[in-house]
Amino acid sequence: MDLNKLNARLAPRSCWQAMDMGTRLYRHWWRSAALVWLVFTGLPFVALAGLASAGQSVWPMLLFWWLKPLWERPLLAFYSRALFGDYPSPWALLKGFRQYGLNGLLGQLTWRRLSPARGMLTGVWQLEGNRGDAASGRIAVLLRAPGQRPATLTLTVLTLEHLMTVALILLAITLAPWQFHLEFSVWFGEQSRLHWALGNLFWYLVLTVTEPLYVATSFALYLNQRTHLEGWDLQLGLTRIGKRRATLGLSRGAGALALMVLCLAGLPAPGNADQPDSKQQAVELLASDTFTPMELREERRLKEQFRDNDGDSWWRDLLQRLIDGQEENAGRDPLSLPEGLIHAVGWTLLVALLAVIVWALLRRLPGSPIRRRPTAMPVQVAGLDTRAENLPTDLAGALDEALRRGQVREALALLLRDTLVTFFRQHPTPLTPGATEQDCLRAYRRLLGDTPAVAYLDRLTEAWTRTAWAHRPTTPEQVQALYDQWRELRPAEGKA
Amino acid sequence: MTSQTEQAGALARRIEEQLNQVLVGQPAITRQVLIALITGGHVLIEGVPGLGKTLLARSLARVLELDFQRIQFTPDLMPSDVTGHALFDSQSGDFRVRKGPAFTNLLLADEINRAPAKTQAALLEVMQERQITIEGESFPLAPPFVVLATQNPLDQEGTYPLPEAELDRFLFKILIDYPDQEHESRMVEMVLDGRLPDSLDAAQLTPVTDAAGILELTRSAEQVLIDPAIVDYLLRLVRATREHPSLIQGGSPRASIALARTAKTQALLSGRDFVVPDDVKAVAAPVLRHRLRLGVDAELEGQTVESVLAQLLEQVEAPRQ
Repeated sequence: MDLNKLNARLAPRSCWQAMDMGTRLYRHWWRSAALVWLVFTGLPFVALAGLASAGQSVWPMLLFWWLKPLWERPLLAFYSRALFGDYPSPWALLKGFRQYGLNGLLGQLTWRRLSPARGMLTGVWQLEGNRGDAASGRIAVLLRAPGQRPATLTLTVLTLEHLMTVALILLAITLAPWQFHLEFSVWFGEQSRLHWALGNLFWYLVLTVTEPLYVATSFALYLNQRTHLEGWDLQLGLTRIGKRRATLGLSRGAGALALMVLCLAGLPAPGNADQPDSKQQAVELLASDTFTPMELREERRLKEQFRDNDGDSWWRDLLQRLIDGQEENAGRDPLSLPEGLIHAVGWTLLVALLAVIVWALLRRLPGSPIRRRPTAMPVQVAGLDTRAENLPTDLAGALDEALRRGQVREALALLLRDTLVTFFRQHPTPLTPGATEQDCLRAYRRLLGDTPAVAYLDRLTEAWTRTAWAHRPTTPEQVQALYDQWRELRPAEGKA
Repeated sequence: MTSQTEQAGALARRIEEQLNQVLVGQPAITRQVLIALITGGHVLIEGVPGLGKTLLARSLARVLELDFQRIQFTPDLMPSDVTGHALFDSQSGDFRVRKGPAFTNLLLADEINRAPAKTQAALLEVMQERQITIEGESFPLAPPFVVLATQNPLDQEGTYPLPEAELDRFLFKILIDYPDQEHESRMVEMVLDGRLPDSLDAAQLTPVTDAAGILELTRSAEQVLIDPAIVDYLLRLVRATREHPSLIQGGSPRASIALARTAKTQALLSGRDFVVPDDVKAVAAPVLRHRLRLGVDAELEGQTVESVLAQLLEQVEAPRQ
């Protein structure tokens, strides 16, 4: 492990800053972390969700939830190595699971399962390799002041997880066509297998986000607490951890994976073979006299309220018209759009998507014409206005006029501006607003070498520097001579 | 350019040449140390051991014929070990002051971040006041008085970072890095040939000037012309550090003053009696890097103080005439 490859600086932080660091770790590696999560949990989830939908039972999903400490182990292994610039593939993590994933797992899945500090303490077993009393002593040390509030983090992520799941369900209810019968009241009433499957799927999608986030923030709290308690020893500790990770055997996990795949192959697929039953069930439910969707109840309540109110107002009229409009459209099929139009829109979107992907790929290709953007001349360089449109069309006349008025500095500035703009037009090079005269000279010397044009720019810069910064004005004759040289060079500058 | 400035510039360059003979491949470091010495500021040098920090200080003392003292900072070093203390003389029956190593011209405070805060503070007070008080009596230090403090990178074990307020008292923070392969190879050859001593002996160097000569250089640097537009530029630069989103602490007014003074010395060493914007850019990093603090977000995004400074030097508009 090379400490120079550490991707974050370890420093004592408040627990909130540490959590922030965790979120940033997650944001940095969210794709890889999500992939690790999907590889490890995809098959188990499909199997358990299939069981749950088939039997309309909560137990399989409860089991999946209970096994969270198991699913979090690979994520922690990933973050702990990624922090040091080593990015293990999900397959490598799968193969080495026995080495890093089993120590302390039994405790975490039984009497420690409901510990609110679970995420922060996993490192004690997994990263430090402690067992038994050593692990208990280590936990006691890690839970000392300054507290890192791991329970707050666990509760926050748990709340976030449930809110996001409910939000996804509500989104589905709102957006799904009515034929799917995903009304709110149905969802929380008599659920079909489709509802079960969708609910579990949404929960799993949310977990794909929240679990890597939870592990990253917990890991950040763990690092922060060790930084507080052990100071610089932390780096040495992580060095040892990294070395242990590097020596992981790569062969033992393959058998376990194969066994898991074989076992799961025998389970029923989470398909909706019984969908006709659920559809029939939903239709019957809707047709029943006792059932009234919440939207209808709300609509009726609003109408009654309007009738009871005597006063008029514009917004009430507007709402009334909207409700009436809905009633008029109620009989129409919301999906009765011409088939050709739907196809046209679909193909247009597909072509647009492909075009965006091709464009994005081309941009990344080295030497691509799309990638190349013309270098823009800054508005100001070396403190001078370098917008070509602001230069006088008659440079000679403007110079003569400035010299006649005795404005030598103005004349020199004009000459330098024209030279810089001309140089830039002929040889665009990245210049920043902070570039000085010498920066421009160095940039063109690098680009063009010691050509007559660059030698002229050197002389002009010298004259300008003395005038502007040394307060030793150049004589009008010298300015005129510089202009004469520029006139000779200007047609040939392209060859410089 | 006046002959006085010309002479001063030539003298400064002779000093530089002498120093570059022993500190091979680090011309920027010798230039920055010399600027600090002429400007009358203290220097914090950060680098791993074995890069010639002590040799540089000894060579500087030899070339400038300055009194030189070295203190190795350790966790048990007491403030009186730096400044001195009053000692009871049984023969005279009175207290006698025993002056500490801080009574010198050039003080090498080696590994300053290994000492506890109390001892660091004692030295930093001396640096600021340029006088030492022992038992109520004040002893002014003979000019020039310059502290070259060295420190290991903070991620090494057993070190205590200096507080920001104390860091601000250093004129420069210089990062000394490994020489490139060509220079390191030359250095090895010189040591093997006997042209460069394999010890901290700087006796082979020829003295170029003395303390009075350094004070004369300081006066010459003060005479260097700096245009108000350049002062405005350096102020904009320092103020930009206070507003940069990646920084939670920007440069102080002391940083602005340091930037102006060191830019003048940089101009003198470049053979000019006037400051150009490039002089400000040349000294911006050593003047500002230890006075800025990066925010947590910026750190996590992989930014460094150096990268933020480079960005500011590109974005803050050059002075307008």
